[in-house]
Amino acid sequence: MTKTLAYYPGCSLHGTSGEFDASFKATARALDLVLQEIPGWECCGNTAAHSINRLLSVALPVNELAKVEQDMKLDAVAVPCAACYSRFKTGAHEVEESEETAADVRAVVGRAYNGGVAVDNLIDVYHDAVGLEALDAKVIKPFAGLKVACYYGCLLTRPPKVTLADDPEYPVHMDEVCETLGCEAVDWNYKTDCCGAALALTEQGIVDDLVGRILTDAKACGAQAVVVSCPLCQVNLDGRQVEIAKKDPGWEGIPVVFLSQLVGRALGIDDKTLGLKKHLVDIMAVMA
Amino acid sequence: MATTCTPSASLSRQVTAGCDENAYKCYQCKKCTSGCPVARYADMHPAMIMRAVQLGQYDMIFDDRFIWLCTGCETCTTRCPQGIDIATIMDELKIMARAQGRIPAGTPSAAMLKLNYDSFVRWGRMWEVELITLDVLKRPTSVKNWLTLGPKMLLKGKINPTLKRGDTLAMKRMVQTAESITKAREAQNAGGQS
Ligand code: SF4
Ligand code: SF4
Repeated sequence: MTKTLAYYPGCSLHGTSGEFDASFKATARALDLVLQEIPGWECCGNTAAHSINRLLSVALPVNELAKVEQDMKLDAVAVPCAACYSRFKTGAHEVEESEETAADVRAVVGRAYNGGVAVDNLIDVYHDAVGLEALDAKVIKPFAGLKVACYYGCLLTRPPKVTLADDPEYPVHMDEVCETLGCEAVDWNYKTDCCGAALALTEQGIVDDLVGRILTDAKACGAQAVVVSCPLCQVNLDGRQVEIAKKDPGWEGIPVVFLSQLVGRALGIDDKTLGLKKHLVDIMAVMA
Repeated sequence: MATTCTPSASLSRQVTAGCDENAYKCYQCKKCTSGCPVARYADMHPAMIMRAVQLGQYDMIFDDRFIWLCTGCETCTTRCPQGIDIATIMDELKIMARAQGRIPAGTPSAAMLKLNYDSFVRWGRMWEVELITLDVLKRPTSVKNWLTLGPKMLLKGKINPTLKRGDTLAMKRMVQTAESITKAREAQNAGGQS
């Protein structure tokens, strides 16, 4: 049965992570999901808005939710970028929690949002909107036990009062999706540790440190690849390895793939559509 | 060395007025600090910031780079047994520091946040290539950070340097309204405190 979801790509999927956008859309098509991009969508405000103007940081995502609810008349939106997802969930939570905030947001947005839209991140789409059984039925090129470390990072699960994540300290939904594809999801220690996020633009030394620690643990726990669902995590975990290798000549690279690329490969979608050659640490060896 | 300070409730009052969080609930268990990814890179750390807020120690907070390293990872907020939204307090302190012109030297992240904000206000969407370019123009030495990675990402086709705008008119309208409502609230709070 086809299901229609509104789609909010966000700035990074149009900027540094085109392959995330392309692979997500291709898998949605293969899984009978219809994605309708929100017309004229704006930036969700990302990390900057909530540390400069709190009201704007709530209003921007709520404005998109109001479009989905009232212009597109849909009841769910897919927000694959973890950072955008967090802003959408936070926006919806804040207007629900406080009447005062809701009134201010109404003034900024120009209309009320009535809370009628579910916000799905990438994992929710595969795990819940599609469902593991339906996903399993569509897998035509399963992995032969590829060992993956599922990296959730910060904002897919935190803070739980906003995301309502089952277990913010040790989430497993991405692991379950990967296992449905024939991968083996390893147990490891840095599932939800921060990669340094936007500090990659200004404090590269700190990010190299954080990323190095995350990837070293993934490797020590037997992972052959790290799976992510956030464009910033992907750029940091993949890109910083270039610098880490300069400081540590013995460094062995570990591929960092988007969950949507992994799903796409198992659904038999071609490499070019999935953008498998865009990453700095070669991912073809594990995707073969 | 013994340190003395004159406690003042004014900072805590300002924080609560701005973001509705109460730093006095903190009992210094330091769970926030234990899980904070950037605590080791500054003199301050989350639990210490909370104590400084309780005691009204503006200088300790605003002279240190900690709040500008905070990535907003929400680990502290998730774990605090007192249910304090610490990450939101960090945001509030950033807003206050910026408003008071108290951004210490050596904190490029503060300027980067503003470049990021201006970018999406200008175009309706954030334009990553613009942020890096403007930052390099302001801090020419930062170009060394991109010499290896930038060309590699461009060659792989990882970066799309062009920009698709959002609905810039709608963005402008929302920004103006949000900024004026925020100013009015700040004036109200300042009035209520005196
Ligand atoms: S976790 Fe909460 S109570 Fe404990 S030190 Fe941090 S802010 Fe205070
Ligand atoms: S939100 Fe900021 S203060 Fe809290 S744990 Fe993360 S980096 Fe540290």
